[in-house]
Amino acid sequence: MDQAQLTNFAKLVILAMVPYVLASQGTMLGGRTGIFNVAQEGIMLVGASVGFLAAYLSNSLLVGVLAATLVGGVFGLALAYFTTTLRMNQFVIGLALFFIGLALSTLLFKFAIGVTLRPPLVPTLPNIAIPGLAQIPFLGEVLFDQNWLVYFTFIVSAFLYYLLYQTSFGLELRAVGENPKAADSLGVNVTLLRYGTAIAGGMLMGIAGAYLPMVYTGTFTEGIVQGRGWLAIALTFFGGWRPDFIFLGALFFAGVEVLALRVQVIGSVVPYQILLMLPYIATILVMMPAFKGVRAPAFLGQNYDREKRTQV
Amino acid sequence: MQAVRKTFGSVVALNEVNLHINRNEIHGLLGGNGAGKTTLMNVLYGLYKPDSGQIRLDGQPVEIHSPRDAIRQGIGMVHQHFLQVDTYTVLENIVLGTAIKNRPTMQLAEAEQRVKALSDQFGLTVKPQAMLETLPMGARQRVEILKALYRGIKILILDEPTTNLTPQEVDSLFESLRVMVSQGMSVVFITHKLGEVMSACDRITVLREGQSVLTLDRAAASPESLVQAMVGDELDVADSLLFSTSKTVSDPPDRTQPPILAMDAVTVLGDNRQPLLEACSLAVYPNEIVGIAGVAGNGQRELAESILGLQAPSAGRISIAGTDVAQTPTVKLLEKLVSYIPEDRLQDGFLPSASVGQNLILGRHRQEPYSKNGFLNWPVINRAARRLIGEYKIRTLGPDDTGANLSGGNIQRVMIARAFSFPAQLVVAHNPTQGLDIPSIEFVFSKLLAHKAAGGATLLISENLEELLLLCDRIATLYRGRIAGILTRDEFDKYEIGRLMSGARIDS
Repeated sequence: MDQAQLTNFAKLVILAMVPYVLASQGTMLGGRTGIFNVAQEGIMLVGASVGFLAAYLSNSLLVGVLAATLVGGVFGLALAYFTTTLRMNQFVIGLALFFIGLALSTLLFKFAIGVTLRPPLVPTLPNIAIPGLAQIPFLGEVLFDQNWLVYFTFIVSAFLYYLLYQTSFGLELRAVGENPKAADSLGVNVTLLRYGTAIAGGMLMGIAGAYLPMVYTGTFTEGIVQGRGWLAIALTFFGGWRPDFIFLGALFFAGVEVLALRVQVIGSVVPYQILLMLPYIATILVMMPAFKGVRAPAFLGQNYDREKRTQV
Repeated sequence: MQAVRKTFGSVVALNEVNLHINRNEIHGLLGGNGAGKTTLMNVLYGLYKPDSGQIRLDGQPVEIHSPRDAIRQGIGMVHQHFLQVDTYTVLENIVLGTAIKNRPTMQLAEAEQRVKALSDQFGLTVKPQAMLETLPMGARQRVEILKALYRGIKILILDEPTTNLTPQEVDSLFESLRVMVSQGMSVVFITHKLGEVMSACDRITVLREGQSVLTLDRAAASPESLVQAMVGDELDVADSLLFSTSKTVSDPPDRTQPPILAMDAVTVLGDNRQPLLEACSLAVYPNEIVGIAGVAGNGQRELAESILGLQAPSAGRISIAGTDVAQTPTVKLLEKLVSYIPEDRLQDGFLPSASVGQNLILGRHRQEPYSKNGFLNWPVINRAARRLIGEYKIRTLGPDDTGANLSGGNIQRVMIARAFSFPAQLVVAHNPTQGLDIPSIEFVFSKLLAHKAAGGATLLISENLEELLLLCDRIATLYRGRIAGILTRDEFDKYEIGRLMSGARIDS
């Protein structure tokens, strides 16, 4: 691989990691207040569908991204309402939202576009070189000559890290996912934080979905998310529900994924199904020892009821 | 607090309760389990919403809808089960929920100085940077108190604060409380232990069945009057074991006979290969009750479960009446040799969806006469269950009633009935009186003593030191999985046991 090929490879890896990072950070955010979202795949599909349609109809990719953010937020709101206010089982509600998203994504597309021979297209997101930074050899081109959603992903990850570990707000937020009763007894608004993180998490997943037609295909196709949403759950666990580890984990996974595609294109004796499995196997093998010490929030997946008596 | 009423479903937890707390006083809130002490304080702290009633502070009516309101009004509470984030440091737990400067990053140095000043002022020693999950119970409690003090509260509520503390830690807690009230604060002290209210409180209010029965100055209170107020007419205090003042409640055992339980250098390893129980040697003789003292989580559970054959020791030997536990399945042990009252009755002892009758024979359901050729003999089971329900005064509709309909105290009665109604040479009882009302505790004590009188051996694992001092012939103290010391009845001294509980002997 020469210099140009290497640069190109690295750029593709950064491009590929974006949806994983966004969806995983969204999962992490809700999980930190105890809300375990399992509807990533569905929310990303709806985000892809709505994002594409809004962009196509309005002729603006920004409008598309905003629409996907909104619809992702609505799914997050629904999850928060059913689990935090109605105290229903998080896993069941999450699966229901997944199926709703799955169906809704295709339905909306059929309804708005109908059946066509030639797929409707939107332009893909253009690269915006950041003046100065983009001139750095190799790294500049890889990191700072990308589309704006890549920069957004960097900023969101750094911001979440700062928010969770360097502010008293983050201290309160994490406490809700560890011991909501303790947080509640100290005047932390558990309900508000759970709603807030579930909605913000859903928004990130919606954007992660919209990214796919806007960067890769230029159009919406059924099942465009291809299991990335499910993988985000695994990446969140492997990343110990920490923004920094999640970022690194997604980077590694995207790297192996792009590499496997490369090998496929070049041609190899190994059946391509094996190559497709490679990223998953490599991720498990590397991350199990690497993030061994990390743990999930203690209250993950549970609902909090202030007046519930612990004794029977 | 005036005429406070609170119901949970159809259960009236508080019925028109009145409570009046003065400045500069430690006010004892005394009552048995289920009397409504904690519920009342949870109402004051904004965790429960009262159905009716009024709360006034300094004469002004106040509305308290949440703990945030309570803290703003100067009310702080230390719950029996500490509300702490185990993965945070002491300092982070204390400052959680308060305003901290966040730019450019979280500034905790100032808060740390304040915590240190408070801890010096009230004699509450803590290490601000220590991770909470590494701390012993006494230190965790100091963190809880500092948490309240840090918020500038005027009224501190302590819910059963002496559970899991060594006698030494209890004394130092009382000293700190004295400093607080001398500086203008008020303390509400929830407890079911008579000795503590008599030694620490200025005034005492007794609750029974959700009603305030009486309020007295300590000078005007006698232990007898308080006990009678706590139990009402249900129990004759003069005959009571629980409040007995005599030194001996039963005769000493004969330790020249072969022991019923013999444990020899038993070690049980945890998941990470760390010993949870280490080189534990213990014998329990016929006619003997041996107590296991210690702060919860020092190997008590492993001790009980290894005797039952539920956890396999990595080293050592256990035998019950000459039968090797390692060679015998648990179901065989339960047949004739051992009865078990588990610590966590809901987790390890009771099937809420099964009937009361089924629960009463659980563990013996494969034995005759309850089962024949693999089929359950329902007429026999129901007859036995009806007999036990009567004998053990279990409040239920009958053998077919669903287990989940029983209250906590009645579930424990089922556990007791099951343990004592079958022949067993050894009874292993883990916190058998936890969560019980006073007549039920009395009942459990009488059953334990009856088992002893009949020649049985008992291993009584309890976090309640008073209970052990009352009933046991010997007390072994567990500390970090090791037996730190064994005292016989004539050597009993709660401060000595306290030293053993805190590992003072091993560490020094």
